Amino acid sequence: MESETPVIYINNAATTWPKPPEVLEEVARSLQLPVHEAGRTTVTGSTDYPAVTREALSAFFHAGPPEHFVFTQNATDALNLLIHGFAKKAGAPFHVVTTELEHNSVLRPLSALQDDGTISLSIVPFTDNRVSLAAIKSALRPETRLVVMTHGSNVLGSVQDLKPIAEYLAANDIFLIADGAQTAGHIPVDLTDIPAGAYVFTGHKALFGIAGTGGFFIRDPGAVAVTRQGGTGTDSRALTQPVTMPERFETGTHNSTGIASLYAGLRFISSAGIGAIERHGRDLTSLFLRETGNIPGITIYNRHPDLPVVAFNLRGLENAEAGFILARAYNVITRTGLHCAPLVHERIDGGNGCIRASFSYLNTKEQIRAAAAAVREVAESADR
Amino acid sequence: MRIVKSTQTKLCVDGSLMKEYVLDTPLSEEFLEFLEQFGTVRYLEGMKKPYFSFEKEHFVSIRGFAGDTVVEVRYKKVGQDLVMDYFHLLLFYEREGEEGARKLKGIEESIREKMKVRLRTPAGNSP
Repeated sequence: MESETPVIYINNAATTWPKPPEVLEEVARSLQLPVHEAGRTTVTGSTDYPAVTREALSAFFHAGPPEHFVFTQNATDALNLLIHGFAKKAGAPFHVVTTELEHNSVLRPLSALQDDGTISLSIVPFTDNRVSLAAIKSALRPETRLVVMTHGSNVLGSVQDLKPIAEYLAANDIFLIADGAQTAGHIPVDLTDIPAGAYVFTGHKALFGIAGTGGFFIRDPGAVAVTRQGGTGTDSRALTQPVTMPERFETGTHNSTGIASLYAGLRFISSAGIGAIERHGRDLTSLFLRETGNIPGITIYNRHPDLPVVAFNLRGLENAEAGFILARAYNVITRTGLHCAPLVHERIDGGNGCIRASFSYLNTKEQIRAAAAAVREVAESADR
Repeated sequence: MRIVKSTQTKLCVDGSLMKEYVLDTPLSEEFLEFLEQFGTVRYLEGMKKPYFSFEKEHFVSIRGFAGDTVVEVRYKKVGQDLVMDYFHLLLFYEREGEEGARKLKGIEESIREKMKVRLRTPAGNSP
């Protein structure tokens, strides 16, 4: 790797980098005093990060009460907790609908439940990069109790129109778990407008927290059974898990430093403005598409993404090979492979995977031009 | 050329195992010529660095840049345990020139026989 070439990191759909300076400062600050323990003797001046971050999440997603925001390790952890908890609560076998756009964080828990006979599963195909209400409706059965679907595709960058889907499902008493791992922080998400049963987010992507943070908002906590038990620091005489929120789902010591980073990330987004962040993402994506769109031998799988994500392949190079060259020769960091979304790839590239460029609010136009020029040079060399 | 550091990076999409090797000297033209006797070597020029890849079915893929000290080796899933030494063997026998190539081809043949046996048995499909 050439150390004199600055890194151009366009793998932000995996994890954003760099983090805003405010996030790094908050992480350092969070470690300067003992961890705040709510309801216990604590040091003056320490911050109750879980409490203030729940407030910040509640304001950010326009949903409450804040206690209905639950912290987990990441979006996959949240999805596992919700999916398995919902199945446990249901008691008897039921039908679930999901989509081809899903990440393995959804597909694998559902497959496991299907394998042990807990659920039957329908997987709805996408059309023009999206899954519509009509497609979801066509898969519903009288015994459908749950729909799990992504808000934004991590490969195609398409955002699903969740509002009518959530409204229809809510009206028909079908629980919707929406996976917002790719949308939260990139576009405005107003949960007063989207009546999903639960909305999952991750901290380390566009919310600018560090890895090991994530969670979900749940409208009716009683819809999902408790699958983890342990210390909560509350109601300690009882040998059963508290039913109050958020202790119902949160057990054990919090990732206080991680949550502090998420708190700072949310403040950063609030100060920059989610509208400005969304516009910048669109500008960078348009620029990248403009600069690469006419490269001979390039296949771009969605030329009109809603999110700052561009999936592509180059003729004459395996995606892993192209990613290797971009990283090693140009210091351009992309992501290659299946992006943990195997069903999308079966549809778009024969299951071979692709190169994904994904941008953050902290990427600059100069970086995107340089990355696009590198892609062009590699593509032209391979296509000779 | 000797390996000074190796890092097991990850299991790839197809179940291959990827390792990154740092060599004590940059990859030489002689080594790339030696590789040509054992599989398909591809060169791509016109990029910031001259890229090469080596492909040997069921064995390994190697990729890197001529003149670089870092090489990425992908060990194919089907006989991963049988070919885990293959890159080391290439480095070792390259030093012996023609005689080394002859010896390595003999070793290859024996690995291939073991692979054939494995592929014939149902359990062998998931080594």
